[in-house]
Amino acid sequence: MNTVEETIEIAVPVRTAYDQWTQFECFPRFMTTVKRVEQIRPAVTLWAVGLGPVCREFATEIVDQVPDSHLTWRSLGQRHGHRGEVTFRPTGRDSTEVTLRLSAEPRGLTGVLPVVPGLTGRVVRRELAHFKAYIEGHGEASGAWRGTIRGGQVRPGEPEPPRSRVAVWPVG
Amino acid sequence: MKKPPREEPRDDLTVTPPKTWAAGVPAVVHALEYSLEQTSPKDTAVDLLTMNQVDGIDCPGCAWADPAPGHRHRNEYCENGAKHINDEATTRRITADFFREHSVSDLAGRSDLWLNQQGRLTEPMVKRPGSDHYEPVSWREALDLLAGELKALDSPDEAVFYTSGRVSNEAAFVLQLFARAYGTNNLPDCSNMCHESSGFALHETLGTGKGTVGLDDLHHADLIFLVGQNPGTNHPRQLSALEQAKRNGARIVAVNPLPEAGLLRFKNPQKARGVIGQGVRIADRFLHIRPGGDLALFQALNRLLLEAEDARPGTVLDHAFIRDSTSGFEEFAEHARQASWDDVVTTTGLTREEIERVRDEVLGSERVIVCWAMGITQHKHGVPTIREIVNFLLLRGNLGRAGAGACPVRGHSNVQGDRTMGIWEQMPDSFLDALRDEFGFDPPRAHGLDSVNSIKAMREGRIKLFLGVAGNFVRAAPDSAVTEEAMRGCRLTAHVSTKLNRSHTVCGQTALILPTLGRTERDHQAGGEQFVTVENSMSEVHTSRGRLKPASPLLLSEVAILCRLARRTLGAGPGNVRWEEFEADYGTIRDRISRIVPGLYDFDRRVARPGGIRLPNPVNEGVYRTATGKAMFTRNTWRIPDVPEGHLLLQTLRSHDQWNTIPYTLNDRYRGIHGSRRVVMVNPQDLSTLSLSAGDRVDVVGVWPDDTERRAEGFEVVPYPTARGSAAAYYPETQVLVPLDSVADISNQPTSKGIVVRLERVTP
Repeated sequence: MNTVEETIEIAVPVRTAYDQWTQFECFPRFMTTVKRVEQIRPAVTLWAVGLGPVCREFATEIVDQVPDSHLTWRSLGQRHGHRGEVTFRPTGRDSTEVTLRLSAEPRGLTGVLPVVPGLTGRVVRRELAHFKAYIEGHGEASGAWRGTIRGGQVRPGEPEPPRSRVAVWPVG
Repeated sequence: MKKPPREEPRDDLTVTPPKTWAAGVPAVVHALEYSLEQTSPKDTAVDLLTMNQVDGIDCPGCAWADPAPGHRHRNEYCENGAKHINDEATTRRITADFFREHSVSDLAGRSDLWLNQQGRLTEPMVKRPGSDHYEPVSWREALDLLAGELKALDSPDEAVFYTSGRVSNEAAFVLQLFARAYGTNNLPDCSNMCHESSGFALHETLGTGKGTVGLDDLHHADLIFLVGQNPGTNHPRQLSALEQAKRNGARIVAVNPLPEAGLLRFKNPQKARGVIGQGVRIADRFLHIRPGGDLALFQALNRLLLEAEDARPGTVLDHAFIRDSTSGFEEFAEHARQASWDDVVTTTGLTREEIERVRDEVLGSERVIVCWAMGITQHKHGVPTIREIVNFLLLRGNLGRAGAGACPVRGHSNVQGDRTMGIWEQMPDSFLDALRDEFGFDPPRAHGLDSVNSIKAMREGRIKLFLGVAGNFVRAAPDSAVTEEAMRGCRLTAHVSTKLNRSHTVCGQTALILPTLGRTERDHQAGGEQFVTVENSMSEVHTSRGRLKPASPLLLSEVAILCRLARRTLGAGPGNVRWEEFEADYGTIRDRISRIVPGLYDFDRRVARPGGIRLPNPVNEGVYRTATGKAMFTRNTWRIPDVPEGHLLLQTLRSHDQWNTIPYTLNDRYRGIHGSRRVVMVNPQDLSTLSLSAGDRVDVVGVWPDDTERRAEGFEVVPYPTARGSAAAYYPETQVLVPLDSVADISNQPTSKGIVVRLERVTP
């Protein structure tokens, strides 16, 4: 496993930084290597990540997630295996330290990045900077998911208000 | 293209060894052969190349999920899907001349195969009281007649509105709305006969009636159980998902009374290794279980897991999950520990060692999925069996996680969607309240009739009018003689259909055939060309858009027929339903659905996106809407089947050349049965015990504690590796053996599996 760790200080409250991070499908708006994200359900996301002409798709499972604290994930399947963790630590009322750790197999994250030594670290650093610029520029998160995940299983937060006349679905 | 047969196909049985692998090049050859018998090369190309593609035709053949957009093959269909879609796209036509030539009595003596092969229905037909012929009728007169009969009933509860899973979401929503505005919840459907047991068991234990996994979960599972299902014939595209799972390292345990080809090996015809290579082995372990032994198997597995936890505390069960997210563990565990090995071995026909080896597979797997189909649901203990499967999944936290969960595999392409749209005779008040608030009328609250109870009510004269939208109710229903008598007792029977089937020939005093567009055909309405939507087995809702010219300019869509009937029946009331608007633009139906059905907000816009909408499943969000607010462990008991000496447990099944009630040919390639469907497959050792031999002619006689003799006549005995003590024969020919009162506990689903029969030798 190759491990990369990068930290960045962001000038927004920890809740704002965390909430924005939960909006995975927005990542392509500010990250250059993330081409597409589909959130299948709270704990499962599909990613298309690429650099230059190369693009790889993989699924990840969020293993643990605690609001305003941390989020860990791992890729599903045998190819492009990696594990990741992002932690959020408040350093002041309006500032948050965000640390991203990635542990990737030799072929690495998406099978693309570590071909060039040190590239993964540079990419992670650059994408964190993009995240910082985005959330500081907006000043507020574009959405939030406040649930908790333990061992890959969701512990729900507050239910969202129903958008239909039938709040829950009774049959299949 | 071949002309329709004038004579019945000759019944001439030949038997070859059963296949040990499914698909491969023969699947392509047979699919094209049947397609080109039915329709032109051009139409074959159009429908096959758009089938299951984004913005294309959803295959009506089964409810298996499509890969995500961008990951689909150019040919994203299976042999049976190709046959099915071209069976619908056939160039053969049934006209008024056909019905002049063939009386209803004549047609009632024809086989399912012959009736289907005559081609597409092209104009509305009526059989008037006392007549033995259908005759042409205008749509205006047909719908006036039907509406007049509906209005003349003493009570709306004297009518039933049956649906089959081919019906789109839009038509299903309109149908249930019409039935409820008319004043009844009598909405039986084919789900009553296929996965009702799954719905009841999952709803009770997990708070949702639907499966919890998607295709991605299957791809990433460590261990997959295939229980009581035959993917090679009934959902062949599942084999592609299983192939991928295997390549990702999954192991598979198949549990079935017959070693079906598709459970053993798959040669993917879209890949070189499937064409010229050995393909991929599917089942790493095959449990040759007796019919109905599945509950005992899973309870024994659960006992073994509990004992493994005792031996190595903290290493086997997911204690955090059990503590935080489940209820009833202690009571369940106490009960499961008492499972008797003698009873388990007797009931399953398996050895303890076989079951212990499966336990070891489970212990070595972090992510487990259990798939099942009608080999589970159609047993008397179908509901408790599925509850025991849920227990099994709960023990190690195999729910609500990636690569793990419950996977009931549904057959009809939109059977799940029809339920989502409110086709259920027992819809709760929350749904009925929503209809009331949206449409301004108060729907009836009393539960309606399901399929079995509809037949009983027809037989007793309490139901006078039967309207079937798609399907072949007479053949799908149990106890064929009783069902047929019940249908014939109706004042009026009407069917919205694409092709001729036995339900048109076993009819009420007045009968209507209302021909409709198929999935393959373009649907032009006042608001422009329409698409419809469907929901697959994995809760993905997407569009289906026909590409071919309709079989006749006189065809109406299902939505149009139902909207016009509703206007004629209901006049200006009740409520504020705008039936004309619904017919002109199906988007207006989706707009109303979006305000009622959870997860379908902004339906019309979102469903048009590639891939459509994935409905949320509460289990995957950690929510269990059960009686305890948690996933529920349950205590389940079984009874060893009472099979007198000289008797067998029969299961009905489909052949490979068959779609639901309709055989396409007399062949069943994978099982090595050719040229006949009147065969009963029996284990050679049982044949020896019964003093029967290959080729003997027998009547299959059902045993049931009433005074009725149920006999399926003239079957040929075929030695076959069925589980000891069991037999298998084709559906629907053996539906005559399933007593109407023989239903699954709790779900009231007919038990087309586990029927006690004896074989009576007859002299040719």
